[in-house]
Amino acid sequence: MPAAARTYWLTSPCRIRRKDESLIIERDNAANVHVPVTDVRDIVACAETDLNTSVVALLNRHRINVHLLSYYGDYAGSLLTSETSTSGETVLAQARVAQDPHTSLAIARSIVDACAFNVRRVVDRKLLNRPYTVLQESIKNSTSQAHLMGAEGTFRRSAWEVIDTKLPDWLQLGGRSRRPPKNAGNAFISYVNGITYARVLTAVRLTPLHSGIAFLHGTMERQRHSLVLDLSEMFKPLMAERLLLRMAGRNQLKEHHFDRDTNQAMLSDAGRKFVVQAVRDEFAVTVAHRTLGRNVAYDELLYLDALALTRHCLEGAAYKPFRIWW
Amino acid sequence: MYVVVVYDTLAERNPKILRTCRKYLHHVQRSVFEGQLSDAQLRRFQADVENVLDLGYDSVLVYTFPPGASPQRLEWGAVEPAPTDIL
Repeated sequence: MPAAARTYWLTSPCRIRRKDESLIIERDNAANVHVPVTDVRDIVACAETDLNTSVVALLNRHRINVHLLSYYGDYAGSLLTSETSTSGETVLAQARVAQDPHTSLAIARSIVDACAFNVRRVVDRKLLNRPYTVLQESIKNSTSQAHLMGAEGTFRRSAWEVIDTKLPDWLQLGGRSRRPPKNAGNAFISYVNGITYARVLTAVRLTPLHSGIAFLHGTMERQRHSLVLDLSEMFKPLMAERLLLRMAGRNQLKEHHFDRDTNQAMLSDAGRKFVVQAVRDEFAVTVAHRTLGRNVAYDELLYLDALALTRHCLEGAAYKPFRIWW
Repeated sequence: MYVVVVYDTLAERNPKILRTCRKYLHHVQRSVFEGQLSDAQLRRFQADVENVLDLGYDSVLVYTFPPGASPQRLEWGAVEPAPTDIL
């Protein structure tokens, strides 16, 4: 992604204030930290955050988006700066593609396929081989977005079950549950998915695409940016499932990283910091990109995918959603 | 590129230069700043600094490190924690 700036992650309750044309982060349990405003690309706030008008004015001037995650780690909302890359032509082209049932279904199909491909790649190629071929069959026969999502749900259910066999007892998912997550494993997945969603939103905002016009999800479903829901689909397995399996396998996740109740769970303060660190480092990992001929960070993959979709809408270039190629 | 900025100014101009530096870099010691800047940001920073200082008397030193390189930092004494992006 452009700009030399970084993403800042807030993991403890804080207040963002403006001081000297720059930012200052005030926390109860730690010293105030000055953050140079030119070094901030965007902010992901994973804990209660207060801000006021003068900060928003400054953030807007420097084009900094703030993404807020709720208590349970779901995406709560964003403070988005006024649109920078506007292009009516692109939005119209995108709407045209989305309105045509034939073209939009084609995109939705490829998204579901790519997502399932990534899940299978991350979880277990052999055990998910059969569900994946079944899914491919139903993708071919599906006639609507609702069909597709149903088929994807079926595939996902078998994937969650396979994941459970690889996790220690206390981390097992027992089926996906959200808002609030029922157990530790689900809390982890929710959290990382929330962060991924926020990163994709930042990437989409760098392109002229309209974040509310989607191809797979309904338009503005659940007060979310539906296009971002579409695009984050392929990246969620790369981050959430993969990190969960890896960190569980390495015994890095401990019980004290979670606050668990009878029927709900969330990350504890220590756990939140730990997970955010892991996710941040994971987004900075680079892979060799075949066509660009250079190394590309995972973070930039999100942006490249949004760009590819832009090109598909504008020029009809083939859109191949992200698949893990390594 | 990674830069370390050190300044030596007349006491009455200290707040001004401090404020300017804070906009671009992390404050690590009384008159020492460090952080990541792009070429464009460095030029903008230079223009801002020249606006607030009297260059006949004050001086600013900028140490730059080649892209990709990050200096190793040894800490002796009561040092402020290193700047981080996880707060």
